[in-house]
Amino acid sequence: MNEVLKAENLQVFYVLETLGEKRIAKAVHGVNLQIPGNEVYGIAGESGCGKTTLLKVLFANIEPPLRAFEGRVYYCVNDKYIDAFSLSAREKRELRWTYISYIPQGSMSAFNPVKKLKVTFLDFLESHVRGKDREELLSLTNHHLKTLGLSPRILDAYPHQLSGGMRQRVAIALSTLLKPRIILADEPTTALDVVAQRAVLQLMQDVQKELQNTIVLVTHDMGIHANIATRMAIMYAGKIMEEGSTEDIFNHPLHPYTQYLIHSLPKIGDKTPRESAPGSPPSLVEPPPGCLFHPRCPQAFPLCSQEVPELVRVNIDHKVACFLRGNNRASCS
Amino acid sequence: MKFIKDYLFPRLVQYLLVVFCGITAVFFIPRIAGQDPVLEMIAQIQVQGGSLDPTAVESLMKSLEELYGLKGSLFEQYITMWKRVFTLDFGPSLFQFPTPVSDLLRIYLPWTMGLFITSTLLSWILGNLLGGISGYFSQKRWSKVLDAIIMVIRPIPHYVFGILLLILFAYVWPLFPVGGLVLGRRTAFNLDFVLRVLHYSFLPALTLVILGGASWFQQMKLLVQNVKREDFIQYAQAGGVKERLIISRYVLPNAMLPQITQLTLALGQVFSGVLIVEMVFSYPGMGLLLYRGVTRGDYNLVMGITTLSILTIATAVLVLDLIYPLLDPRIRHR
Repeated sequence: MNEVLKAENLQVFYVLETLGEKRIAKAVHGVNLQIPGNEVYGIAGESGCGKTTLLKVLFANIEPPLRAFEGRVYYCVNDKYIDAFSLSAREKRELRWTYISYIPQGSMSAFNPVKKLKVTFLDFLESHVRGKDREELLSLTNHHLKTLGLSPRILDAYPHQLSGGMRQRVAIALSTLLKPRIILADEPTTALDVVAQRAVLQLMQDVQKELQNTIVLVTHDMGIHANIATRMAIMYAGKIMEEGSTEDIFNHPLHPYTQYLIHSLPKIGDKTPRESAPGSPPSLVEPPPGCLFHPRCPQAFPLCSQEVPELVRVNIDHKVACFLRGNNRASCS
Repeated sequence: MKFIKDYLFPRLVQYLLVVFCGITAVFFIPRIAGQDPVLEMIAQIQVQGGSLDPTAVESLMKSLEELYGLKGSLFEQYITMWKRVFTLDFGPSLFQFPTPVSDLLRIYLPWTMGLFITSTLLSWILGNLLGGISGYFSQKRWSKVLDAIIMVIRPIPHYVFGILLLILFAYVWPLFPVGGLVLGRRTAFNLDFVLRVLHYSFLPALTLVILGGASWFQQMKLLVQNVKREDFIQYAQAGGVKERLIISRYVLPNAMLPQITQLTLALGQVFSGVLIVEMVFSYPGMGLLLYRGVTRGDYNLVMGITTLSILTIATAVLVLDLIYPLLDPRIRHR
């Protein structure tokens, strides 16, 4: 497989110190990911499961109180894998936007409020493109906006003059300016109404088709994953619980948690009440022993609270971390 | 046109109202205080010069009342006061009789302006620039050292710091005069005057710049540390925007907004001057003039200075309100 982004055994925790007492929140806890090129890769999970943190780690943007204890992230640059954590600040800066870019969570406040959007676009361009004057960079921006179906007139607007949906689309335009191979999108449609959501998703799909690159899309909204993701991972309390093609996940969810997620989606014509997972997500500071989902799992058995299930392949293209699904450590031993 | 009708006109009315109320208050407060400057003056003359015959006292009282604008009923006095405000002629000063107050202002004002405006602007620019950069790099060692130095300097009172500078640079190492500048009747804005202002105002200006700059520094540092956590800064950092650009186009313009308001208010204080510093360096400024006016019951002088003070502060705030949308496009005149 031609992975553009690989993560190996990521252990990235928030180290919080209050009054001399050290607390560790295990936000990303043993995550392995292989993200292939030319896909929309969805990461789903409820609030506080570490999705946003995982994106920060993939972006190699780890700043205190976040700390990487173990693990590696590899970028595939010019057919060679490079270790993202060992890059110098300058090398990282050069890869940003040209190789990997980022669409922030809630673009409401992602732009400098006291400057016109033109200035923000130029700031990003001037920092990455050498040997071009402002006029050239500006016409490049104009051209880029036009190909995305946005009016170049927005460049003369201030961020607060645009609607939320428009601002989000501008954020997408900004993050795709330099045609990156990977775009990390953190809840790009949250806080938008469905019409604006549709426009934003459409734009992301268009961009992906045109650039043939990879979008890593993080959202809790399963409907969006169903719509545009080609592969997806289900995250729970800092761990990947299930991973596979979107079709497999939606048609044959294997993990009890995934089953809850998918069965909670409303269906047209079906009036039976939707069932959600009982209880609430576990604390990341003191996670339960064994499988992290066992306290809420209706099918849990004694082994679940003693050992941690590994993420293993059960079908050609479908992985799950659950003792219920055949080939796991219990059956291997 | 909508702007004029909906914003500018009401704002100007408000401005005039503020000035009107302020000056009216300045008119009434000394009258409520119940002192009679005319009787005080005559008592003073009698103490110094022995006896005056009753007719002389009578005519003296009349002319003094006229000079102080105390003739007639309260309403007539009030009208006289407004006449004086509009002509900017506040009558003769008492403690430098018979020099008109407007002449005194004309002599002292350039000295205060030279010292006060320059040092306020300089301390504002230096404090904000250093505070901004130091706030942005607050984890760096040099920033922490600078912060510690400023923390020690800022609470030093102006008079202690001023005397320290006087001892060092005027006595031990006499580079600058100890003070005691005698003012001529006329001040012309020529090279000679500028050099003289520079020479005499260097140490007081240094005091004001260092102590003022230290407090701007601390304010700006806090502001920047908050702005630094804003999403748009983190996004620009994540996007690999050059640090130089982040500081100059993102951090400073956003953190500076409240500081600009503060600067306008600070500049409006030019007429009350910087009394303590002027006293320490016996610098002929408005602060000292006002102080003398107050202690010697010079009503005309106090009236003149406070009126101008009200006018400048109100005007400064008006100008700020009008130009603020240029600095923060989120603000709209409605």
